[in-house]
Amino acid sequence: MNFLRGVMGGQQTSGAQQSGTQTIQKLCDRVASATLLDDRRDAVRALKSLSKKYRFDVATQAMDHLINVLQTDRSDSEIIGYALDTLYNIMSNDADETAESEDENQQIAPDDLGVQFSETFINQQENITLLLSLLEEFDFHVRWPGVKLLTTLLKHQGPQVQQTVLVSPMGVSRLMDLLDDSREVIRNDGLLLLQQLTKSNAAIQKIVAFENAYERLLDIITEEGSSDGGIVVEDCLLLLQNLLKYNNSNQNFFKEGSYIQRMKPWFEVGDDNSGWSAQKVTNLHLMLQLVRVLVSPVNPPGATNSCQKSMFQCGLLQQLCIILMATGVPADILTETINTVSEVIRGSQVNQDYFASVNAPSNPPRPAIVVLLMSMVNERQPFVLRCAVLYCFQCFLYKNEKGQGEIVATLLPSTIDANALSAGQLLCGGLFSTDSLSNWCAAVALAHALLDNATQKEQLLRVQLATSIGNPPVSLLQQCTNILSQGDKLIRRGSKVQTRVGLLMLLCTWLTNCPIAVTHFLHNAANVPFLTAQISENLGEEEHLVQGLCALLLGICIYYNDNSLENNTKDKLKQLIEKRIGKENFTEKLGFITKHEFYSKAAQKPQPTFSSPDHMLFDHEFTKLVKELEVVITKAIYKSSEEDKKEEEVKKSLEQHDSIVSHYKSIIREQDIKMEEFKQTIASLQSTNEQNQSTISLQLGQIQQHKDQYNLLKVQLGKDSQHHGSQNSTTQMNGFQPEDVSRLKGEVEELKRQQDILQGELSEKNVLIESLQQSQVDGQTDQMTEEIQKELETLRSQLHVQSAEINRLQAERMELLQKTETSGSLSASGDSSVNSQSNTEMEQKVAELLKEIAGLKEHLKNQSEEKSSWKQQLDTAQSTAAILQDENQKLKQEVTESKKEQDDLLVLLADQDQKIFSLKKRLKELGEPVEDEDDMESGDAGDEDDIDDDDEDDVRDEED
Amino acid sequence: MAYAYLFKYIIIGDTGVGKSCLLLQFTDKRFQPVHDLTIGVEFGARMITIDGKQIKLQIWDTAGQESFRSITRSYYRGAAGALLVYDITRRDTFNHLTTWLEDARQHSNSNMVIMLIANKSDLESRREVKKEEGEAFAREHGLIFMETSAKTASNVEEAFINTAKEIYEKIQEGVFDINNEANGIKIGPQHSTPGSPGSHLGGQQAGGGCC
Ligand SMILES: Nc1nc2c(ncn2[C@@H]2O[C@H](COP(=O)(O)OP(=O)(O)OP(=O)(O)O)[C@@H](O)[C@H]2O)c(=O)[nH]1
Ligand SMILES: [Mg+2]
Repeated sequence: MNFLRGVMGGQQTSGAQQSGTQTIQKLCDRVASATLLDDRRDAVRALKSLSKKYRFDVATQAMDHLINVLQTDRSDSEIIGYALDTLYNIMSNDADETAESEDENQQIAPDDLGVQFSETFINQQENITLLLSLLEEFDFHVRWPGVKLLTTLLKHQGPQVQQTVLVSPMGVSRLMDLLDDSREVIRNDGLLLLQQLTKSNAAIQKIVAFENAYERLLDIITEEGSSDGGIVVEDCLLLLQNLLKYNNSNQNFFKEGSYIQRMKPWFEVGDDNSGWSAQKVTNLHLMLQLVRVLVSPVNPPGATNSCQKSMFQCGLLQQLCIILMATGVPADILTETINTVSEVIRGSQVNQDYFASVNAPSNPPRPAIVVLLMSMVNERQPFVLRCAVLYCFQCFLYKNEKGQGEIVATLLPSTIDANALSAGQLLCGGLFSTDSLSNWCAAVALAHALLDNATQKEQLLRVQLATSIGNPPVSLLQQCTNILSQGDKLIRRGSKVQTRVGLLMLLCTWLTNCPIAVTHFLHNAANVPFLTAQISENLGEEEHLVQGLCALLLGICIYYNDNSLENNTKDKLKQLIEKRIGKENFTEKLGFITKHEFYSKAAQKPQPTFSSPDHMLFDHEFTKLVKELEVVITKAIYKSSEEDKKEEEVKKSLEQHDSIVSHYKSIIREQDIKMEEFKQTIASLQSTNEQNQSTISLQLGQIQQHKDQYNLLKVQLGKDSQHHGSQNSTTQMNGFQPEDVSRLKGEVEELKRQQDILQGELSEKNVLIESLQQSQVDGQTDQMTEEIQKELETLRSQLHVQSAEINRLQAERMELLQKTETSGSLSASGDSSVNSQSNTEMEQKVAELLKEIAGLKEHLKNQSEEKSSWKQQLDTAQSTAAILQDENQKLKQEVTESKKEQDDLLVLLADQDQKIFSLKKRLKELGEPVEDEDDMESGDAGDEDDIDDDDEDDVRDEED
Repeated sequence: MAYAYLFKYIIIGDTGVGKSCLLLQFTDKRFQPVHDLTIGVEFGARMITIDGKQIKLQIWDTAGQESFRSITRSYYRGAAGALLVYDITRRDTFNHLTTWLEDARQHSNSNMVIMLIANKSDLESRREVKKEEGEAFAREHGLIFMETSAKTASNVEEAFINTAKEIYEKIQEGVFDINNEANGIKIGPQHSTPGSPGSHLGGQQAGGGCC
């Protein structure tokens, strides 16, 4: 009962403990049995007040009762609040623990009551469901302790609680709503809850992200002032990290949601020296880490690459580079910024190119790369910073042939700039400095400038170093081996092993896949004996790695040997190994590399991280190289006898090859002949082609001509048809307008009407006269009446003559009318239809014209023929119009004539009227009854109206 | 990069009907012949154009296996569109549609647009469910219907785009509350009206009232 003592804290007397236990027992009874809510509430409140002091007793005795309260007394938020508080107090270790860190490893303290009680609580899965439903209660006194309790449960029993939340409907979604709580305490504790909830559970992480977590968290961060904000910002960043780390789906969603752009302003802190509070350093550190999560080398390459792209596009990388070159940035922020920039540019050409172009704001401006390398080979800089710079340099060169070339170029005699400090100079300086860490870093950095790049490996062979005065310059390659073999001559800071391991890694990388470099290396007679001596000696464990690397280098000299040096052919070197070292011994020494304790850690990830400077031995890329080479070199050494056989086989097959070669030669000869033929064909084809081309251009010219002609014709035709089509202008010119025609028609109509009236009057008068005659006949006939009759007779004949004249006039008018109409319709329909038809015809012809040059002329001829026929038609139409005009003139005359005649007739009629009147008078005087004529006149008026109507109809018909 | 609207989709349906393949075909224009069982949920995204407007689709491809059902249910609420997929060569996947639909209707917001998808139309010889049956089911339950093949890419584009069109129309009609992100719709940065958030609808109402 160790923990009991802990709980009681020693000062308690056993009596006090006794009474405490008893009180708790009593309180529990009351909670269980009291019928009044008030009583139960008081009891729970009392339990709460005892729960810190008597944590164990309350936990063991009261837990079930408290859970019961949660189930049954939901309506009273006060008692629920007390119960939750009490449960929180017994689960939480916060009171006991001094430092509850975020570190997962420390999550479970050794003497942990909280874990036990939490386990008891969650054994009933419904309890978590119950707790989740209580969190929906808005009341602060329920929600707040509820949040804290669930957070504690998650801390102690993460996976189980996560699983329960996951399967309860909308469980995660509802917890997300805590972020929207207007009460800051709950929102902030909600953040802590979500942090625990999302720990190492991808499914929950995804749901939380789906519920717009990014948006909400980024909003909170902005509201709180980004890196200047308080611990809430830190909590948001930690939650974001939980959601994104190792979760590709969520990373993709983050990128696709354009949230990378929203990170950029976080880093606008460069030169604003508003001070660096501890919180700000923490916040910024987490912000940088979040960037790194998105572009981590362990992510799928495609994912990292697209994030890198958007980081450049939105200016985030640029912003980071400003911090990189700014002054007054705390060292650990600077270090993390370098690491972040490293991963943002790693393997991304655009970003690498940008990085190469960044200058430090110094006078004169220096490339950022140079400034950084200066720190790398500077012993006074912090170790982690130097590692970060190395990482940055490696990332800059990763899959960047261009960058590798640029770095190596700064060492080459032709491009060396004596005035400016260059990357190459700094690396050489580091390589041969008295600081072993600088040696190692410079060697590895230089190796990265050669990695997978045969061109640069050869280029670097050209580098010569001036040594002491009087001595000839020595190649960089030789200088490296010299330092190796001279061993102890120089007094160095740090470990000798580190320097040698660095140089050997550089040499191995350099010689791999580069036979010329191997030849260079072997050319110096001292090198091979040095290596064999190193390998064969029986040295202490601290020398094992160097021995292994020497074996690797010798192996490379064999494997990539092109046998160009007689004394150091593959075979000779192998024999040497057999004689001096022994195959088994050799492979055992070779095996020392991968068996080294730091090898596997370096193999894990590209970033060079070491727990202490002494552990800085392996480079990540080099571990990959070793893995590849160990196998092939071992094979090359062991299979020597078989290889000989193989070589003979190869020779045999080579002889076979000879015959094959001669066979191919004959084929080539045949093909040569064919090629010659083809060339000739091509030449002839070319000349034909030229001819064709000239013909085509000729024809094109012709086509153009024809086109021009055609266009000209079209324009003319268009003008003509304008003439033709718009009768208005033509008729206006001829003074023969449709209005005139209709006016004439109206006049004629009017005349007709008048004539009709006259006729009607005449016939009436005839009737009258007849009736008069009748009456005369009936009456006594005397001379007077006979005279009158005669007179009447003459009048009648006169009337007949006149009506005949009128009829003739009418007929003439009708004729005229018809003529006018036909001429009008003829001129109207003259082109519109025919013309449009021919236009489409012409258009078709144009199309044909473009295809067939020959057909064009004919078509054009047709066109012009048609055009002349058109012209003829136009002429006839015009002449018809002229004729019509003449006729019209005539008609007008006739009309005036007929008008005159009519006038005469009217005079005549008036006379007759007069006569009739006098006759009537006489008849009346004679005592004959005479009809009145008033009625008839009114009937006439009605007839006139009818005629008017008809007129209007006629007009309308014409319009249609 | 900038979009006028952002729509959230989910893809649901029995395991093996081709949900992940449909998404892959839509986002990457590739076909994956091996069944890579989806664990939980996977995310994909693509930009489309409707009515001259850029629309970003964010798509959550859910696992069809029964054991993931409780996880995948968490995604219904926040989605504006759902593709409910069955396999025309397996009648049981068609028979389960009712259960899927009930589940979706129960957990989603009522305006969620559901597109019924009859996948694997390239396997005509092994067809077990007639097109007419799918059409009838869709008609009966008020869904849009489409036969697709994630393998040949036939109708895949259309399935995703037509769903978006339907959502877009609903927005135009004012059915969706576009200011509530829980509906799975978000207005793009250049589209949001200046002034107070949520002034979009309010502004329209004010305009109507002043006449
Ligand atoms: N012939 C054909 N095969 C398809 C088609 N779509 C999917 N498949 C195949 O069907 C199998 C299942 O496809 P998935 O997309 O992985 O199925 P799923 O619906 O995502 O399954 P879960 O992730 O388990 O829910 C795979 O082998 C695909 O190759 C299609 O249109 N035609
Ligand atoms: Mg799937």
